[in-house]
Amino acid sequence: MPALAIFQHEWRGLWASWLVRLWLIASVLWTLLTLPEKWARMQTAPLISSLMFPYLVFPWFIIVVFLGITPVTGARLEALSDGILSRPIARYEYFLACWAARVAVVLSVFSLAVVPFTLLITFANRPAPTDSVTWFGAVSAFVVVALVLTFLVSLGFFAGALARRPLVAALLLIFGWFPLMLALHVYSLEEFSPLSLNQALPTLFRTSWSETDADKRRLSNVDIQALGKAGGMFVSMLSGSAEPQKNGKSDFFETFFSKGDYRDFSLTRVIFGYGTPTLIALGLATLVFCRRDL
Amino acid sequence: MDLAIRTEHLTKIYAGRVIAVNDLNLAVPCGSVYGLLGPNGAGKTTTLRLLLGLQRPTAGRAEVFGHACGVNATQVRQKIGFLPTHPSLPGNLLAIEYLDLLGRIYRIPAEVRKPRLSSLLRAVGLLGATEQRIQTFSTGMRTRLGIAASLLADPPLLIWDEPTAGLDPAARRFTLDLIRDLAKTRTVVVATHILSDIDQICDHVGVMLEGRMIFSGTMNDMKRRLHQDDFIVELDATAEAVQALVAETPNLQGIALGVRNSNSLAVKVLDGRSRARAVADLMGLLDNRSLVLRAIRSGYNETEDAYLQLLQEDHAHGFRRFDFQSLTGTDARSGDLST
Repeated sequence: MPALAIFQHEWRGLWASWLVRLWLIASVLWTLLTLPEKWARMQTAPLISSLMFPYLVFPWFIIVVFLGITPVTGARLEALSDGILSRPIARYEYFLACWAARVAVVLSVFSLAVVPFTLLITFANRPAPTDSVTWFGAVSAFVVVALVLTFLVSLGFFAGALARRPLVAALLLIFGWFPLMLALHVYSLEEFSPLSLNQALPTLFRTSWSETDADKRRLSNVDIQALGKAGGMFVSMLSGSAEPQKNGKSDFFETFFSKGDYRDFSLTRVIFGYGTPTLIALGLATLVFCRRDL
Repeated sequence: MDLAIRTEHLTKIYAGRVIAVNDLNLAVPCGSVYGLLGPNGAGKTTTLRLLLGLQRPTAGRAEVFGHACGVNATQVRQKIGFLPTHPSLPGNLLAIEYLDLLGRIYRIPAEVRKPRLSSLLRAVGLLGATEQRIQTFSTGMRTRLGIAASLLADPPLLIWDEPTAGLDPAARRFTLDLIRDLAKTRTVVVATHILSDIDQICDHVGVMLEGRMIFSGTMNDMKRRLHQDDFIVELDATAEAVQALVAETPNLQGIALGVRNSNSLAVKVLDGRSRARAVADLMGLLDNRSLVLRAIRSGYNETEDAYLQLLQEDHAHGFRRFDFQSLTGTDARSGDLST
């Protein structure tokens, strides 16, 4: 019951905040403004994937991370210690309830701003070239993006638990995570870089259940090879021996989604790629918060 | 004796450098009103936060009603109603929303919670402010809301940290009266550096200095430490008459007289002399000289002087302040200073 009370309190508080309200309005407006120019030109899979770009890369990425940073930093921490944590609620209960509320709000905004337009794009009779988007692919893509958003909130929580000041935590993430994401993208590591994942989403949208099933059976070989390749590229990038790929530029999203080779895209690998760091970030953040003096 | 709070060698050192609580042995009897007294920075608030599990001890242990304190010790906090100094509360909530949230955290069923929180808001005089966000509250209103919050679950132990800080005289009076009322049915710990508050409400007292407990015992024990043989006699007389009295009667047996100011005498009863006898002799003398007695009162604010005396003695003890008993694991001083 205490955890549920905190979840509901946080949920209501977040929806009452101007940040979340404005974010939702801006998300919908962004989609409404950017959709018409691609409506007649882009295929279904890249078009839906382009709607997810702001969440995975920029600018909504910043808001998602910021929502993760704020619960246990700055002046809020004092109110928290005096007002809530001196009452019969365990720290981990409070922390996890807070985290769950933030994840729920982020996923709600994402769903409200993207799902209706996705359905519109899928079922409308558009003059664009036809595409082979599958139900399985669409659901998988939403699950994967939801997982990445959960990961970003968890990363924000970890930074917020580590640094007591929100500004320090934000700088830590902006100057730490953003360059890392771009570096990982250079080697098309969709398992670790949301930018590459966004680029790989059209492939996932077109994936059918049976293909994935076959992919599953090949998991032990293909995945291990791909992971080994990805790891090797990352290590060589860090050592400075790899040559970055160069991107040409015409229309941003058309160029963006035509780049990269994601034929070896594996849903399992991507889920592990974001799921494991999510659990690690959340576990470490909880541990740091529980050991902190208030 | 059942103890509400018990700490053993409780120590808190911040960042390996600042000693906030130093080998503290505290025993608060059930049903007492315990005043935790000490100057600013003595470690009172840190001690309370250690009890609540808001901070982790560097060494030692603390128990509340036999349960070990800790970060996740919810069964301990279930029994405590905590009021912090100048409470910092979630500013975006209304008072009623905040109390409702706390009620749910305390697992109080809705049918009990709702009427209780409205009666508490009425009791602390915040019924007229239910439309206001907490962030618009004054210090006094926040304290009153904090009081309501600490009483919400009707806990057997109240821990109030400087409850009268920043309050106007009427609110201060209200708070002290409330503590007296509440103390009839529960244990109350009040941390403060305001001696008159302790004097009015506490039956037990602990004096902290630089993170250590330099005295712990009853209020009477503390006052007994003070040399009590001094009192002031106020006369309805001129300064010359008072001076003449002192000059002409230097040898009242066992009594030393001194002029305190224009119309009052400082009377010191010497060792071995009955205090009552000394007063009787002095009254006889005044009567003989036809001097009008206006008042007799104690020469000092007893609590304040006992407190200051404790602090001075502690400083004077120097290295003897080191508690050798703690090395052998036995309980440190209680009820008196180690001398």
